[in-house]
Amino acid sequence: MSEKRPPKPRRIDVGVDIGGTFTDVVCRSPGEPIRAVKLPTIRGDPSAAVLRSIAYMSRHWDVAPVEIARFLHGTTIATNAVIERKGAKIGLITSSGFKDVLEMGRGSRQALYRAILEPETPVFLAPGSRRKEVKEQVSAKGEVVVPLDEAEVEHAAGQLIVDGAEAIAICFIFSFLNPAHELRAREVIRARHPDLMVSLSCEVDPVFREYERTVVTAFDAYMKPVVERYLGKLERGLLEAGVGAPLQVMQSRGGLAGTKVARKRPVRLFMSGPAAGVIGGTIVGRMAGKGDLITIDIGGTSSDIALVEGGRPIIRPEGKIAGFSVRVPMVDVNAIGAGGGSIAWLDTAGGLRVGPHSAGSEPGPACYGRGGEEATVTDASVVLGYLDPDFFAGGSLRLIPTLAHEVIAKKVARPLGLAVEEAALGIHRVINAQMVEGIRLVSIRQGVDPRRLTLVALGGAGPLHATALAAELAIGNVLIPRHPGVLSAAGLLAAPIEHEVAQAFPRALGGLSLTEVRRALAGLDRGCARLMAEDRVAPQAVSVEYFADMWYVGQSYPLEVPLRMSERDPLASLYEDFLALHDRIYGHSTRSPAAIVNLRAVHRAGGSDSVGELGYEPTGTDARKTSRLIRVAAERGPVLAEIYDRAAMVPGFTFWGPAIVEQDDTTTLVEPDWRGTVVSDGNLYLERQ
Amino acid sequence: MSGSTREFDPIILEVVRNKLDGIANEMELTLIRSAFSTIVKEGLDASASLFTIGGETLAQAIATPIHLGTLIPMVGTLIEHHPPDNMREGDIFILNDCYQGGTHLPDIAIMMPVFARGRPIAISAAMTHHQDVGGMAPGSTPTNATEIFQEGIRIPLLKYRDAGRLNETLIELLRRNVRLPDILMGDINAQIAACSIGARRLGALAENYGENHLIALFDELLDRSEKMTREALRSLKPGTYRYVDYLDNDGVDLDKPVRIEVAVAVAEGSVHCDFTGTSPQARGPFNAVPSGSYAAACFALRAVTDPLSLIPSNGGCFRPVRLTLPEASLVNPREPAPVGCRTSTVKRIIGCILGALRQAAPDRVPADAASTLLIIHFGGRRADGSGFVTSQLISAGTGASDKSDGVDVIDTDGSNCMNVPAEALMMEAPIRVHRAALNRDSGGRGRHRGGLGAQFEYEILDGEVTLTYRGERHFFEAAGYDGGSPGSRSTAVIRRADGSTEVIPSKIVARLARGDRLLLTTAGGGGHGDPHQREGALVLADVANGKVSAEAAREAYGCTTTADRH
Repeated sequence: MSEKRPPKPRRIDVGVDIGGTFTDVVCRSPGEPIRAVKLPTIRGDPSAAVLRSIAYMSRHWDVAPVEIARFLHGTTIATNAVIERKGAKIGLITSSGFKDVLEMGRGSRQALYRAILEPETPVFLAPGSRRKEVKEQVSAKGEVVVPLDEAEVEHAAGQLIVDGAEAIAICFIFSFLNPAHELRAREVIRARHPDLMVSLSCEVDPVFREYERTVVTAFDAYMKPVVERYLGKLERGLLEAGVGAPLQVMQSRGGLAGTKVARKRPVRLFMSGPAAGVIGGTIVGRMAGKGDLITIDIGGTSSDIALVEGGRPIIRPEGKIAGFSVRVPMVDVNAIGAGGGSIAWLDTAGGLRVGPHSAGSEPGPACYGRGGEEATVTDASVVLGYLDPDFFAGGSLRLIPTLAHEVIAKKVARPLGLAVEEAALGIHRVINAQMVEGIRLVSIRQGVDPRRLTLVALGGAGPLHATALAAELAIGNVLIPRHPGVLSAAGLLAAPIEHEVAQAFPRALGGLSLTEVRRALAGLDRGCARLMAEDRVAPQAVSVEYFADMWYVGQSYPLEVPLRMSERDPLASLYEDFLALHDRIYGHSTRSPAAIVNLRAVHRAGGSDSVGELGYEPTGTDARKTSRLIRVAAERGPVLAEIYDRAAMVPGFTFWGPAIVEQDDTTTLVEPDWRGTVVSDGNLYLERQ
Repeated sequence: MSGSTREFDPIILEVVRNKLDGIANEMELTLIRSAFSTIVKEGLDASASLFTIGGETLAQAIATPIHLGTLIPMVGTLIEHHPPDNMREGDIFILNDCYQGGTHLPDIAIMMPVFARGRPIAISAAMTHHQDVGGMAPGSTPTNATEIFQEGIRIPLLKYRDAGRLNETLIELLRRNVRLPDILMGDINAQIAACSIGARRLGALAENYGENHLIALFDELLDRSEKMTREALRSLKPGTYRYVDYLDNDGVDLDKPVRIEVAVAVAEGSVHCDFTGTSPQARGPFNAVPSGSYAAACFALRAVTDPLSLIPSNGGCFRPVRLTLPEASLVNPREPAPVGCRTSTVKRIIGCILGALRQAAPDRVPADAASTLLIIHFGGRRADGSGFVTSQLISAGTGASDKSDGVDVIDTDGSNCMNVPAEALMMEAPIRVHRAALNRDSGGRGRHRGGLGAQFEYEILDGEVTLTYRGERHFFEAAGYDGGSPGSRSTAVIRRADGSTEVIPSKIVARLARGDRLLLTTAGGGGHGDPHQREGALVLADVANGKVSAEAAREAYGCTTTADRH
């Protein structure tokens, strides 16, 4: 690609996102277009892929390791350790009477109609033999009722270590109101075992509900040695390769953290990968001047949907890790079981159903010719003429259209008495209806009317469904990033460094003194400032936001309300903002007494409004490749669609649907009534007329 | 494929079905998230449904299977008393009376007709279990009621809003008859919000597809679910299967067990549950009005024939199910019999139907689950005069199957409730939780061990508290299967501040004072297979993890442990 070597050392930013199959590498140097490449992920040793990316950059892009100023990383290490059960052996220490809370959970089940059940709590973290109780009791007001029995702590830790524990999680009842016992317990353990890793619930998640707090604290301990080893290896490797730049990793909230901080709070890395993707989508929206977005990343088996408001992804206070609810703030990404590999089938009443089963990548859709015998959404896309069999994934996989036709005829069309094209259109309409409901729930949950959003389509299959989804949701604008396939890595380049510290602050709003709030916030600020200092960020570069988790007295799902301390009467504004938010999300609000549950400070530094010039150098050839007949839902018969080469489209290029835009990593379907425009940064903007 | 289905575009049908499910989910989300009371938010005791204008379920979002189809008789009452032609835009109806189709009084239904071009085309409905609807005990499910009048305020079918105008008289009356009027109103508003969303989106659907077309699609969707349900029933071996189990007592006559007997006849594509032989209607509040048995039968069938929920859930699924409910019996009581605690009964009915169906499909049904959801209400005043009402819901163990151990402390069958965190309870009420743990040795012994029950200990810190305790399996344990032993029974004791103790005979309403403690255990699930065939390593792991004692390992499983030798 770029060959000219500039005379003086450059400051180059590198983003590396490791997925299950591919490692995406994106490289930005000042004044040059962004470069990106997908390298295969090495299973079992993800860090090797990172190091290999350095070799690749040096060989192919002429990037010297010393020129790398920032090395940014999105990782699935934490999630994979849970899925593969490869975390550390941990012990759990609780208040007496509560050691089984981790195993009992909340008592409800996800498998609603099954007669034969399976355990639904993460017992694997610490089975009964590795859970110990110690005498101590703190009241609901935070007063010590029974002092901590330090001898028991020492004894419990000793037993756990003998049993092989590499880390210990401690969760005491009401430690979020009074952390003294947990802090002391750690001191007692450290005195004997200075190198043992300890996670305290009052630091990991100082919020009420003991099961949720125990789970997240246990996960934190489970991850700590793994993350420690992984990051340590990576850093050593970077140094050996000559990269002196600090390594920063993406956290689940969508902000970066230096490794020193990330090691301390490993549980915050769970959504590292998906968060980077949403940040990437956010940035693409920002480049196009759009702040309210729905991003949908359609893969083979599922679709990840996220809402972005005012240029910020929605953060939710808890998410799912490998099927377990874990209370750690993360970018609100909702996965639904609908993707390109979703299988179409007929139920026993002869109704057409699509998903949730997927053909995955092996054997994959029938048209892959790898023995797939089920009709999938991708097969339908071939039948409808959306995918060029010779130009799928940049021509790396040749599709076999006859297999797609045959399987849809056999499995769907003939039994339903439909033409093959009708059946294929039906498969698309059904899967689209599911995605539409998924998108609607995500936006409705936040009280947002989807009609005013811009849809950002990501992933290999996103741009194929985008205009259909948008039309169904009455959304008028769609954005297709220049490189939907490597957007996660690109998102890393634009993300800020972010640290967040929360504290339980259970106070009724009525009669609450502002001084007390200020004092609490000052404490949170100190916590964030310490983390920023560890990331070597200068205090003047930091912007600060506060939030209060609030509810009406008597409720128990709080809302996060921005707390604007610059207001004349911050608490009065907070109450009004709470009412407005409650009304927006729940459709009603009354001037009833409200209370604060938690306070939170978020410190941010850096981050940019663009991922930079997206390597947009049109090839100079004719953008119009050819035309072919395709089927779309709005028309009874086939329509003639122009086929465009995305790489050749110059900024300002405008065209009308029906059209298909082809590129290496995706195919975009532009239905009739949509007009596409290539905007200056190479992103494609679609508007419905 | 049946002839009728040819007339419908299968794609439009499936798209509309997805939308109906999406609408119901959106209603449910609104209902739960915007609720005020602990029981809805933590217990998920609420459900949202869409109905055809003929009163059949179109789509239902539920977090709790006992709500399956439970609004059907209430919507039936609505349509009977206010034929659709008389409904006006802006009308909202309210109903909780159990003898007009309700379930028990805390379950209040809000129903809203949905209009398309001035014509009612469907009903949007939401039901919430309210924290308190008055009556003789806080929480409104006294275990010792002998008449429905003691269980709270009965709301006959009334207009809550009449063509947009709120019924202020009714609202004022409701507020005066419940202990927590603001919470009641907050939860009713959440129900209205949920119904409004349903109505709005259904209206949009009618605009899109035309209301006549849409109504025809509704009918077709119901027909198809009926067809699929009948198809699934054909996978069961035809025959008549019987099962009997008992409730401890009816909360009033404490020494009298309550018998539930069912004969499940599986024939070509249909099922008939005959409850002849079941106890006559009880004096206490464990009677279940017919909607409960319908929900029970539908749940059991689905668990055995469609555990992955592949059949779209709607009124069509109910059509192949027929019940015989003897007059004036536990499962078909006469007014004014009390019905407040019917959840326990419905859960046991499900257990009986599953027990019967196990004979038709032994590999699909595990040994008996404890199948009890212990419900405790604490209501009272602190010394400073401030009042509180709070609840706790505790599950028990499930039965082992021919492939796996039972699961510990997880809600089964008809209910799916979350317990209230100890920290939440302690912040709400002057009560200290000393223990929330697994109950060792409670799981039924077997080659596969039954799931464990729980043990809890509470202490009253301040003021006077009325305890409503509704237990089960204190006298009748969950049966094992194929040589497995039954799970242990539940126990509960009040230990007074002076050291004296009182055993709770499964149910009680009692006064507790400062320093008094409540100590309880919930039952274990039944074991499956001969205990001596259990793998030694599994027994040792159970001992190490505290699920089985060393003595039990030796005696029941014939397994010597290291702990044993010390």
